[in-house]
Amino acid sequence: MIPFDYHAPRTQGEALELLARYGEDAKLLAGGTGLINMMKQNLVQPAALVQLAHIPGLNAIEAANGDIRIGALTTHRQIETSPVIAREVPLLAETYRHVATVRIRNAATIGGGIAHADPMQDPPAALLVLDASVQTASPSGGRTIPLGEFFLDYYETALEPDEMITEIHVPKLPAGAATTFFKFLPRSQDDYATVSVAALLVADEGGTVRDVRIGLGAAGSTPIRASEVEQALLGQRCTPEAFHEAAALVKDAVDPISDVRGSAEYKRDMAEVFTRRALERCWSQAQARKS
Amino acid sequence: MSEITLRINGKQHREDVASNRMLVDFLRYDLGLTGTKESCSVGVCGACTVLVDGRMVSSCLTLAISLDGAEVTTVEGLASETGLSKVQESFVKYGGYQCGICTPGQVVSAYALLQENPHPSEDEVKDWMMGNLCRCTGYYKIIESVMKAGGAE
Amino acid sequence: MPGSSTVIGAPIPRLEGADKVSGRALYTADVSPPGTLAAKILRSPYAHARIVSIDASAAWQVPGVKAVLTGKDIVGHRWGRFLRDMPVLCWDVVRFVGDRVAAVAAETADAAEQALQLIEVEYEELPAVFDPLEAMQPDAPLLHPDFSEYQDISPEVLIPDTRNGLSRLTWQKGDVDAGFAEADLVLEHTFYIPSRHQGYLEPHAGIVAIDEAGRIQVWTASKSPFGSRNQLAKSLGIQPEQILVHPIYVGGDFGGKGDALDLPIAYFLAKQAGRPVRIIMSYLEELLASNPSHESIITIRTGIKRDGRMVARYLRAIHNTGAYGCMKPLPNVAIGGAVHAGGPYRIDNTFFEAIQVYTNTVPAGFFRAPGGPQVNFAAESHTDLIAQALGMDVAEFRLRNLVEEGDENAVGEKLNGVHARETLEAALQAAHWRDPKPGVNYGRGIAMYERHVGAGPSSAELTVEDDGSVTIISPTIDQGGGIHTVLQQIVSEEMQIPLDQVRVVVGDTDSMPPDQGVGGMRITNANGHAALQAIEELQGKLRERAGEILGAEPEQLSYDEGVFYRSNDGGRTDDGNRALSLAELAAQTADAELRTGRAKVEMPMQRDIACFAAQIAEVEVDPETGHIRVHRFVSAHDVSTVINPIAHQGQIDGGVIQGLGMALTEDLAVEEGRVTSLHLGDYKLPSAADIPELETVLVHSEGGPGPYEAKAIAEMTNCAPPAAVANAIADAVGVRLMELPMTAERVYRALQDK
Repeated sequence: MIPFDYHAPRTQGEALELLARYGEDAKLLAGGTGLINMMKQNLVQPAALVQLAHIPGLNAIEAANGDIRIGALTTHRQIETSPVIAREVPLLAETYRHVATVRIRNAATIGGGIAHADPMQDPPAALLVLDASVQTASPSGGRTIPLGEFFLDYYETALEPDEMITEIHVPKLPAGAATTFFKFLPRSQDDYATVSVAALLVADEGGTVRDVRIGLGAAGSTPIRASEVEQALLGQRCTPEAFHEAAALVKDAVDPISDVRGSAEYKRDMAEVFTRRALERCWSQAQARKS
Repeated sequence: MSEITLRINGKQHREDVASNRMLVDFLRYDLGLTGTKESCSVGVCGACTVLVDGRMVSSCLTLAISLDGAEVTTVEGLASETGLSKVQESFVKYGGYQCGICTPGQVVSAYALLQENPHPSEDEVKDWMMGNLCRCTGYYKIIESVMKAGGAE
Repeated sequence: MPGSSTVIGAPIPRLEGADKVSGRALYTADVSPPGTLAAKILRSPYAHARIVSIDASAAWQVPGVKAVLTGKDIVGHRWGRFLRDMPVLCWDVVRFVGDRVAAVAAETADAAEQALQLIEVEYEELPAVFDPLEAMQPDAPLLHPDFSEYQDISPEVLIPDTRNGLSRLTWQKGDVDAGFAEADLVLEHTFYIPSRHQGYLEPHAGIVAIDEAGRIQVWTASKSPFGSRNQLAKSLGIQPEQILVHPIYVGGDFGGKGDALDLPIAYFLAKQAGRPVRIIMSYLEELLASNPSHESIITIRTGIKRDGRMVARYLRAIHNTGAYGCMKPLPNVAIGGAVHAGGPYRIDNTFFEAIQVYTNTVPAGFFRAPGGPQVNFAAESHTDLIAQALGMDVAEFRLRNLVEEGDENAVGEKLNGVHARETLEAALQAAHWRDPKPGVNYGRGIAMYERHVGAGPSSAELTVEDDGSVTIISPTIDQGGGIHTVLQQIVSEEMQIPLDQVRVVVGDTDSMPPDQGVGGMRITNANGHAALQAIEELQGKLRERAGEILGAEPEQLSYDEGVFYRSNDGGRTDDGNRALSLAELAAQTADAELRTGRAKVEMPMQRDIACFAAQIAEVEVDPETGHIRVHRFVSAHDVSTVINPIAHQGQIDGGVIQGLGMALTEDLAVEEGRVTSLHLGDYKLPSAADIPELETVLVHSEGGPGPYEAKAIAEMTNCAPPAAVANAIADAVGVRLMELPMTAERVYRALQDK
């Protein structure tokens, strides 16, 4: 790893000043589990690192009327073990629990993970399904970016060089929503997913789909929302056939690459299997809740 | 070079470090604390596990310079003057190691688990310890060592 | 037989335990002689290329650089564990992605890395070949046209008639053609096994320091210090005695660490810099350029009679040796696992061959029973296919063909102390073989393995210290197997003194006779017998000396728990004047030679004494995804005395999980000559969360060649799991996988094709 300037600002303002000064030559350091690995391989060679750990107030989980705000520096482990998350958005606890190992989850942060924009990751699929948005700060004041518009390509996001994530906003779950997360790990419990699927389903009294959202990880150059599947199911009755037919459409939504975790073709097939299983599991949860 | 102040195994240190010095190298080569091992260098194997402010991290993915003001515990810090810690004794007694290269990391991780969860179930041990690879033992005796240290019969 | 012993057979914790759990145990990377520099190696990005030019001058611009070396500086220096065919640094041709081209030593590893990036190498690419079968074609690129110039070649193992052929081993018994002619049914199958890394978590490391007297001091992650010393000496063209290899812990071996690999580079850099040099491979370099197992393509054909008897077998294993044969330690420059192609079965007519072929891939080496796991996967998968073709239960078929006491195995070795049947029966029982399976898509599969105990040279030296304690000096370093504790137990048992009165010290290469190191299931046998013989010599001397002190003939003395007694009836007495403890003896014996015993042994290989393993996997397959879960695994072994049950069980635990890693995930896949899994996130070793319930069954046996009739365990554990899993998958969902690893995707495809 080549040497670099190192800064550990105590305020958000100082951090933004440093970003403004270095522009694209600076990288923000959160948990470091993604960035340091890339720097060690010389895949990124920033002139400066700006460590965020000493900026207060960036690692809190707050809930108000079901709306959740998660500070950018909140670690995966905090989210996984938070009673607030368990109560309000169990999907997030379930998803973060599946990321790598406890040691990595102790360091990796929600903001850092999203900014890293590795499409192999698990959390974005769940956050997409939850209609999360990213709050940023920048010298010009910051903005709110819907997560669906955030990921542009492998390791590329909508963030400007002078912009930093301050929090992730997860809106209140729709009433009656059932959620689930599948991480397909055919090789080892500690692995990236061959494919991962997060799902949310709302059905009315009569079993008709009122809201459905499917998110996928390790299935393309970015985390994916499978709108094809969602549209096909909206207004449909929840039946095995409907799930089966809708899940088949996910193959058009995904564009995975072949790697050590499977060929593109296999991952496409598995996206279908786990999309269907996610829908089925949501539906059985919804029914169990009713009875 | 920048100066950092931190506590390592209860002892205050003031050290100069280069920006790109990894914690594992800082511990091993600058401070001579060679109990912490480096293997995969990408945060997967757990051989370099240390505690930072009580939480286990990969020292191969942690910049030394980022630890100004931190409290670091390495395997050298687990034993006291009176002897090995309970979890270390358990690894010795139940054979939770063979070649020993992953053992410091295993022991530190197990120690962190028992701090958080003094009586873990077997599944909890497996889930927690899966970040520490071992090629010798097949894990059975590691799991037994941790369970026994956690009071399992 | 110490049936009542409290030491032999007791679960004695390792003597080095406290050092290992506290981080005090020193491994090579932990040693830092004053002024040690860190060195890094520049590697070829091409699988096969001519080096047109190298300009390393810019490397000196990086602050902290103290030595820069290219292949042009050391033309003609080659290295190998036996066959010296790998350039220390390439000077004219590179033969695999990762081949060594230049090296830099600097104050820090980061500085050395930066300097490497400034070295300019111009390559002219040459046609490359990666597949061993293609490499054998007449038009394939030739990797080693100047093969005959290499040193230490033993001509009879070479195969000049095979293009890119390195070596060939054969075994035969009876008349294989006649056997096939006699058969009612002949079945042939071909299996593929990829290269795998040993997965030890301590990467290769070495330190070379040249002292003021010109002596070369070495610390190295090698289970064979003498081997590394001799290899280094040969590559440098000096006498081995100029080198001193210091004993040090080794962080896992599994066959992959008995070499001098980068020590010659460290030596040349140390000489140039005038400072000690340390080379530690990164794990990326381990996966790219150390010595993984051989990729193998194995064809097996068996002739069977209608009644279920096997009458003929042919097996041909093509092993991809990679770019060099340098990582194979034996004079045959081959891997010998195909000797077990017959398994524990009686087959009267056989012909087996193993052919090692050069390709432009990473040089292959030894990995826990070299060739054994590959051949066993083929042979024991094939066994099930035969049984099924005959419509027989796979267990019944095996029972019908197992060797019995006094039978010859398939390569003509007459076997004694045979417990094949008992071992299989024990496994069947523990696996509930004859009971219904726990659910749909569950399956059970058996595989067996037969093997003799290793042997060879070793030595030991025992001294009674001034305080009456005993020190045993062994030439063997501990690579994890626990030999030092076994030695401690043997000394404690034989000298009748407490364990804590026995100290085990590892001798360096100056102080001990040459030793072969750990490997091939030999060390408890060889080192243990060396200890027993040294103890015998020591006891003779002590008795002599005690007789002098006590004023008695040696034969008048009795010995009990560390005390000699002068007693006509041989019984114990409390009369202090007539008793002599070891401490008292030592105090009155200034000449330490009179209380030192030594032994140098050469244990014969007793191929007639076999060990048996029967392993049964219980798996569940998700037919929609192909995902395989191994729920339960039974490992049955015939054992005699188990000297240390903790260490013994540890070998079974670790070997089974290594075998399951081979079965399910591990694949050092090469695409266009490049290894695709270059870190442990991609190359998947099993984790603590991936292991099945394991049930071990130890079947009583006797007559092993080791101390107290011990047999061996290390390599009995890891060979059969892949076939057991393959057979279980077939049982569960009816698809037969003939390629490893058995990934979910492969099962899925097979199910689709069904």
